Amino acid sequence: MTTPSQVLTTGDPGHAVSEHSPIAAFAHDTRGGISNPILGMLLFICSEVMFFSGLFAAYFNVRATTTPWPPVVANDPVLTEHFNLHAEPFYALGLTIILVLSSFTCQFAVWAIRRGDRTGLIRNISVTLVLGIVFLLGQAYDYSTIGFGLADGTFGTTFYTLTGFHGAHVFGGVIMLSVILYRSLAGQFSDRHHDAVEAASLYWHFVDVVWIALFSTLYIL
Amino acid sequence: MATTALTPAASAYRSGLYEWLTTTDHKKIGILYVVNSFIFFFLGGILALGIRTELALPGVQFVDGEVYNQLFTMHGTTMIFLFIIPMLVGFGNYVVPLQIGAPDMAFPRINALSFWMLPLAGILLFLGFITGGAASAGWTSYAPLSEDRTLASVGPGQDLWIMGLTLIGTSSILGGINFLVTIFKMRAPGMTMFRMPILVWTVLVTSILQVMATPVLTSALIMLFIDRNYGGHFFDPSNGGIAILWQNIFWFYSHPAVYIMVLPAMGMISEILPVFSRKPLFGYKAFVFATAGIGALGFSVWAHHMFTTGLVFLPFFSLMTFLIAVPTGVKMFNWVFTLWRGKLTFSTPLLFALGFLSMFLLGGINGAFSAAVPVDFALQDTYWVVAHLHYVLFGGSVFGVFAGVYYWFPKMTGRMLNESLGKLQFVMVFIGFNLTFFPMHQLGLAGMPRRIADYASNVGWNDLNLAASIGGFVIAASMIPFLWNVFISLRNGKIAGDDPWQANTLEWATSSPPPPYNFDHLPEIRSERPLFDLRHGRTGH
Amino acid sequence: MSSSPGTRPSSGSILVGIVAVAVVGAAATWVVLNGSQILQSFFPPEPKTAQGHAIKDLYDIVFAIAAIIFFLVEGLIIWSVIRYRRKPGDDELPPQTHGHNLAEVIWTVIPTIIVFFLFFVSWRTLNTVEAHSPKPDLLVKAVAAQFQWSFEYLPADAPPDAKPLFTVNLPVGADGGLTLPAGKTTHLYLSSPDVIHAFYVPQFLFKRDVIPGVVNQFDLTLDASDAGQTFRGQCAELCGIGHRVMMFEVHALAPDAFDAWYQGKLTEAAATPTPVPSGAANGPKLDLVAQNVKFDKTDLSAPANTAFTIHFDNRDPGTAHDVDILDASGAKVFDGKDFPGPAAQDYGVGALPAGTYKFECSIHPALMFGTLTVQ
Repeated sequence: MTTPSQVLTTGDPGHAVSEHSPIAAFAHDTRGGISNPILGMLLFICSEVMFFSGLFAAYFNVRATTTPWPPVVANDPVLTEHFNLHAEPFYALGLTIILVLSSFTCQFAVWAIRRGDRTGLIRNISVTLVLGIVFLLGQAYDYSTIGFGLADGTFGTTFYTLTGFHGAHVFGGVIMLSVILYRSLAGQFSDRHHDAVEAASLYWHFVDVVWIALFSTLYIL
Repeated sequence: MATTALTPAASAYRSGLYEWLTTTDHKKIGILYVVNSFIFFFLGGILALGIRTELALPGVQFVDGEVYNQLFTMHGTTMIFLFIIPMLVGFGNYVVPLQIGAPDMAFPRINALSFWMLPLAGILLFLGFITGGAASAGWTSYAPLSEDRTLASVGPGQDLWIMGLTLIGTSSILGGINFLVTIFKMRAPGMTMFRMPILVWTVLVTSILQVMATPVLTSALIMLFIDRNYGGHFFDPSNGGIAILWQNIFWFYSHPAVYIMVLPAMGMISEILPVFSRKPLFGYKAFVFATAGIGALGFSVWAHHMFTTGLVFLPFFSLMTFLIAVPTGVKMFNWVFTLWRGKLTFSTPLLFALGFLSMFLLGGINGAFSAAVPVDFALQDTYWVVAHLHYVLFGGSVFGVFAGVYYWFPKMTGRMLNESLGKLQFVMVFIGFNLTFFPMHQLGLAGMPRRIADYASNVGWNDLNLAASIGGFVIAASMIPFLWNVFISLRNGKIAGDDPWQANTLEWATSSPPPPYNFDHLPEIRSERPLFDLRHGRTGH
Repeated sequence: MSSSPGTRPSSGSILVGIVAVAVVGAAATWVVLNGSQILQSFFPPEPKTAQGHAIKDLYDIVFAIAAIIFFLVEGLIIWSVIRYRRKPGDDELPPQTHGHNLAEVIWTVIPTIIVFFLFFVSWRTLNTVEAHSPKPDLLVKAVAAQFQWSFEYLPADAPPDAKPLFTVNLPVGADGGLTLPAGKTTHLYLSSPDVIHAFYVPQFLFKRDVIPGVVNQFDLTLDASDAGQTFRGQCAELCGIGHRVMMFEVHALAPDAFDAWYQGKLTEAAATPTPVPSGAANGPKLDLVAQNVKFDKTDLSAPANTAFTIHFDNRDPGTAHDVDILDASGAKVFDGKDFPGPAAQDYGVGALPAGTYKFECSIHPALMFGTLTVQ
């Protein structure tokens, strides 16, 4: 008859078994499959996908019932022109490229630590972090020059809500990456023990995918 | 309070206030959830008594207009978000890791965080009452009314409501993630998915609903907040917004939410009926598939709350709503045939489980009327719907909760609850419940709309309203034997031992209450009734 | 020590059981004695429109199936409870039946067939109820505002935003309400300038939401036998503090009577409105404002035995208000004519003896009232 303690003696040989609580040991459990924290992050990302689905649903609903789209504002041709994001997608395209690049560097960081390459990890996480911050600053600059605000009809409301909450999620990712960078510098990750890096990179990829969907919806479609 | 009763098996534990405030032990957190939920049950009940007191007689006697609207808004909000959902999460928290042979939940600290968000959210919600008016646009908070600062929510109550619910939603999502990882990854060896107790299955499906549906509510709440406070126009028709968009997004969550509110209770009585019938649950596999089917179908029916808007595709939602009756019926038959040819012992848990069966049957049936769209044109927004929702949520979920309380109290505290007081509570609440809510069928058919503080005295609604109000006070009175029972049993209840009910599942294979990491050793797991197998050898299988 | 489930019932349990049986028995007796009235209460009121009849027929079908299923399943539960009690001391296990494939298939397939049947039957009824007559006899727009109904009678084939031929501002009473021809088809538009309301007439077995930004529409075909009857209606979607007072009435008139009423209304609308007595020269002037369905003051005072003027400013767009003055016995001593805002008018009130009076808006008396002290 197997007992929990028999199950739980598997684990990273670098840690004495007695240091683990039975629960922490489950995280290293080599019975196979995905680790608990990474499964948790994936499920969390699912919930975030549903959150953005609600926002996108609102956007598509509003857009489908408003003709023309972008809206034409009577007596305000300047505002109407500002709504025409299709005419000038290049700045946003630049932001997109930055974010996509950061996803690449993030993945390089994961591959690095899977090989035990701590230096590669630190370098790539740093670049990812910088790119993320540049994205945020770029988004802020865009807001300041875009020519319409949140209260400017449903166009303004949906635009700022969608991009604003995406930006908030990027900010959350930046915090996460900062923590990962700190822990990397402190030498807390190894090729066998780096769940947090994997989890953070999954989140970062998610944030990137949402941006691609946003960019396509708001600027292209 | 409950502290002293929990220490017998864990003498090395500090169990003072500090321990309760900082615990990450799923058993203590489960108890915190249950106690906190009961506090809000009683608060929500007081609000209900306020409603029923006003409606007992025609004419406005005590509260009118704005205050009455706050009463029913906060009653619904409290019962749904601060009582029933967290109560079931609390039972899941306590029982699920034990039933799968795990030492705790996957993320114990997030578990604690999920709990502590709730009292904070409750405070935020109720703060409205003393800062100029609680939310008053109904628990459904339809726009544009919920954006109307002059003729609806006059104080900051609506914004506090939004914030409170966002916090509760976050707690719910984190809790769902915790349960899913625990159930998928931390089952004891031998416990395959199809050997899990049904309660674990229902918590699994509930958790999927929580993770996938709740964020959609969060998005709606945020959009409402933006409209109210930052000049947004999502739901503002005079500026290009869409009034009905709120309803669509809101109900996309709130319909799966009703399954979040009932599936774990169904799981609980699916544990109790077999034990007190002394036979296994009839049709275990079908039950699992039916639960999954309800979870999936539950995402496709939301617009049946919107049939009278004239703006939804009626045939699709009507068909899906009718279809969801099929897996629900399958479960009903599974339960009934668990009793059939069994040997029934009428302890209090079984009484409440039987009450669940009968009341949920009625609630499911009266819901089917509304699935027939033209009939819904007559019944929507009337007291018929109030009858329906209380038959499934009170007659169903709350009876299930009490069944669970009487069943698992011995495991949580090491002591039995008094049977006579339990039976007294059952009889009182059963009578009070039916007296309150059965007449609401008639009231709805006769044309009484919901959410009105008063009604004309000459349209024939007086007697039924008076009966319902009396019933409400009988329900309140039924809580007295319950509270007295808890009080005396904690001090002097019969010692329970490991397995007072001769039950089937793993939580009864350890002490009452269990030690900190739950099990010293586990029996062999070869079916969904490991303890039964142990007690009877495989021949009893 | 673990105790097996079930011991001899305690005397407390027996007592509780006796009480329970007594209560149930009393209830059953009362039910038997009031049989037919109770049976009727399980059904909606006798419908008064063609659409309502279709809905009632559907209800009857659903009810019949529901009753059968309820008694069948509840019967099984009660039978099990009676027949399968464990006898004290019996520790033998019953047969450990895990399932029964055939039974499970049957009770999945048959309910599926039943629900499909119910779906098709209700879909058919839905098409009947939702049908729009190509040439309705009357076109009316019901406007739901916070917190009253008004009814705009539109020309034939007019779109919902057309200028009405005339408007009925009072939602209830002999001079108000929605007057419709019995035996004919009226096409109703629904419109709201503010929040969501619902047009609900219990005796039509029908309601439809009134949604700002959208015009819902449906047909009502009153039965010919409705002539001379009045049906009560009420807003059925929470719309704010005054939700419970949003009543309206539907008056059904025989076709001739309706034509006469209709012509009368057209004439009234065409006539020049009589000027409201300006009374500006008459005595002291009191200011009163109506906004958000509230008066700005709840206390007014005027000198005794002197004519005075109330300058009444109605600031609620689209909502009619008025000012009536009632004496201590409730009799109306001044009846101001209602008008919609935003507008202001002067009411000239004749001399009143000293005393305490009540003033109110006759359309929203529950929300708009105050005390007038005359001394």
